[in-house]
Amino acid sequence: MSSINQIPVIEAKKGNPLARVFDELVRFCRSRSLFILHYCTGCGAIELPPAMTSRFDMERLGIQPMVSPRQADILLITGYVSIKTLKRVILTYEQMGSPKYVIGICSCTVNGGMYWQSYATAKKLDEYMPVDLYIAGCMPRPEAVIAGLQQLMDSIHAGKANSWEDYYRNYDYYLGNQQKLFGDNWQTPTDVIAEAKHYNLLSKGTLGVHTRLLEQHQQPLEALEMRLGHNLKEPTE
Amino acid sequence: MSQEIAHWLDNLLEEIEGIEIRRKSSRRVRVDVPADALPALLELLQGRAGYIHLSAISCVDWIEDEEFELVYHVWSYESHSLVSAHIRIAREPGVYLSVYDLYQPAAFFERDIHEMYGIHFEGSPNMDKFILTEWDGPPPMRKEFDSEAYINEHLSWQAYNPPWLQALIAEGGGVVIPPEEQRFSRKKD
Ligand code: SF4
Repeated sequence: MSSINQIPVIEAKKGNPLARVFDELVRFCRSRSLFILHYCTGCGAIELPPAMTSRFDMERLGIQPMVSPRQADILLITGYVSIKTLKRVILTYEQMGSPKYVIGICSCTVNGGMYWQSYATAKKLDEYMPVDLYIAGCMPRPEAVIAGLQQLMDSIHAGKANSWEDYYRNYDYYLGNQQKLFGDNWQTPTDVIAEAKHYNLLSKGTLGVHTRLLEQHQQPLEALEMRLGHNLKEPTE
Repeated sequence: MSQEIAHWLDNLLEEIEGIEIRRKSSRRVRVDVPADALPALLELLQGRAGYIHLSAISCVDWIEDEEFELVYHVWSYESHSLVSAHIRIAREPGVYLSVYDLYQPAAFFERDIHEMYGIHFEGSPNMDKFILTEWDGPPPMRKEFDSEAYINEHLSWQAYNPPWLQALIAEGGGVVIPPEEQRFSRKKD
């Protein structure tokens, strides 16, 4: 250390001094009002009713079930994800508003569990979407589920649960894995790249070979046909 | 009473040519018939012995014998007994007759077997995809379909070797059969 210029100086952050307080408040509130969308893919889902109802009562922690992905914060994947289900899980995940968190319950989401040899189930959930937390066990008890959720609350409060940003930053990687499994024609109704721009998260890993492949195959989405009730029974050709 | 019914049933079944009857218990019979005699057998069981409920059709792939085994389980609500009729058909071309005209639930089982084993049932109302609607590989329950090879190609295994496990293994403990050996045990011999 020969010259004074070499001494590292941490520059103080400029900006509103109240911003930190405000951020802290936002994080606190965020971690205290979590709505879970429980996507019951496998047998582990059976531990959720006791966790939610009076026996273990998750709601005392501020965690409640939610019916639609648009309004949910946590996507709870409870058990093995078959490849057919995985497509739906990804569609659901992409429809959720950010910030969003994914919890994989059960060994099956970690490494395939006892379906490790099956052609029909995905082995690593985190190849297809970022996972915040795994709760291992076959199946984990409601206490373990609640402990896991509490851990998630703590890391949201600490500002560490940011894996949803990873989906935008490394979209090319996730899309590549999805394409490998579902074929080159794979496409979802959500425009993830536009969302990445919206959240200001467009980075090196967002675009790449796989997103270019997506562009080649992408078909414009058509609005769903609206029908009146009495037409519903007519066969659709 | 049940002894009587059993005896009567045995006599009835003797009418089918080439039949082999093995009585497992007073309420369970296994019969082996040549494939072309099965419709007659089922008709007999349904029409004259009250076996009106087809509980399931199961299929076994005997790849070494180059045969499929189909097992028709029929149940009688009157005598409370189950007859399992076993037949063998050639693996190639894997075609058999549908029993839909006798038992309508057969459509469901046959469609499932068609999807999982690739056996075609002539006369079955619907041989479309059933559960594996988004699957374009070979019928996955056939023995020659290698599930592990498929996984190697399309999915990836979770690497699982945390430090605490490494420490256990260094002490001579840990995983009894390493994953690699478990995975490919089938191909070893
Ligand atoms: S880990 Fe066990 S309980 Fe959970 S989905 Fe897999 S098999 Fe079912």
